[in-house]
Amino acid sequence: MEENENLTAERSLEIIRESIEQSRRAMTKHAGTPMIWWGSLVVVFAVLIAYLWKSHGGPVWNVLWFVMTIIGMAGEKMMAKRREPLPRNIIGSVIGKVWSAFGIFCCGLGFITCLAGLGVLSFKSLAPASGYIIPITSIITFALGMASTTTGLILKNRAISICSVIAGIGGFFLALRFAGGEQLLVMAAVAVVGLVIPGIIVNIQTRE
Amino acid sequence: MFQPLDPLLHSELRLAVMSLLVSVEEAEFPYIKEQTGATAGNLSVQLDKLSEAGYIAVEKTYKGKRPCTICRITPAGLKAFEDYVNALKSYLEISK
Repeated sequence: MEENENLTAERSLEIIRESIEQSRRAMTKHAGTPMIWWGSLVVVFAVLIAYLWKSHGGPVWNVLWFVMTIIGMAGEKMMAKRREPLPRNIIGSVIGKVWSAFGIFCCGLGFITCLAGLGVLSFKSLAPASGYIIPITSIITFALGMASTTTGLILKNRAISICSVIAGIGGFFLALRFAGGEQLLVMAAVAVVGLVIPGIIVNIQTRE
Repeated sequence: MFQPLDPLLHSELRLAVMSLLVSVEEAEFPYIKEQTGATAGNLSVQLDKLSEAGYIAVEKTYKGKRPCTICRITPAGLKAFEDYVNALKSYLEISK
């Protein structure tokens, strides 16, 4: 673009429209990649933990979720380094905060229940009503669906919103029907429907 | 009646830079260069002009060990951009 100062009103408006549209396209390019990355990680770890839970020693393997979080964050940082620098905008910041809140709630819930599982906290102090089981998988699935739906609504992307509602509500009730490691297979299915598929759709849409 | 157009914004490259910056919180120099297709030298000169007018804030910092120039639009720049677009509208309405 050259230093041209003889612009018509139409040309000026065209430059403004083109620049804003170009900026929007650049920012949404590969927006689905983090969803595919985190969704794939959840699938791999859910299946792995379900297998280890069943065959090698019970729910203690749930600590691997923390390993997944570290791998996920490290991978995302590496991907961000390889990508061309993108500007910060309000939409990206809001979506980042939605997922940060999701991460804080899930890690907090997971950490407290892990402490109970390791015997540091008593289950009675967490759920005083006898026989009551905290449906962690259902709660996390529901929260994932909400965060993902919010992302879809902010991006005005119907594919993300629809997939996320199905994954969040469907996963919530489905996880209640299963116990132990089998719940994690529900979690894997939720990750495919709520993260991987919408991520692929977004990447295809932004490539067009 | 035609409203006067801000001469600082009535330039292809400076207008493109301002249009990019209105939709983001901040943007790095390489991003602006890529989006506008301008040469680094020309872009630097135009950024300096916008910065001197108080339309954008330019922060020179480091990203790791590499120098990094970050640009963001100022409230004065946003107001100037709005006025420019309103002035353009008056030209288009009269020419209809």
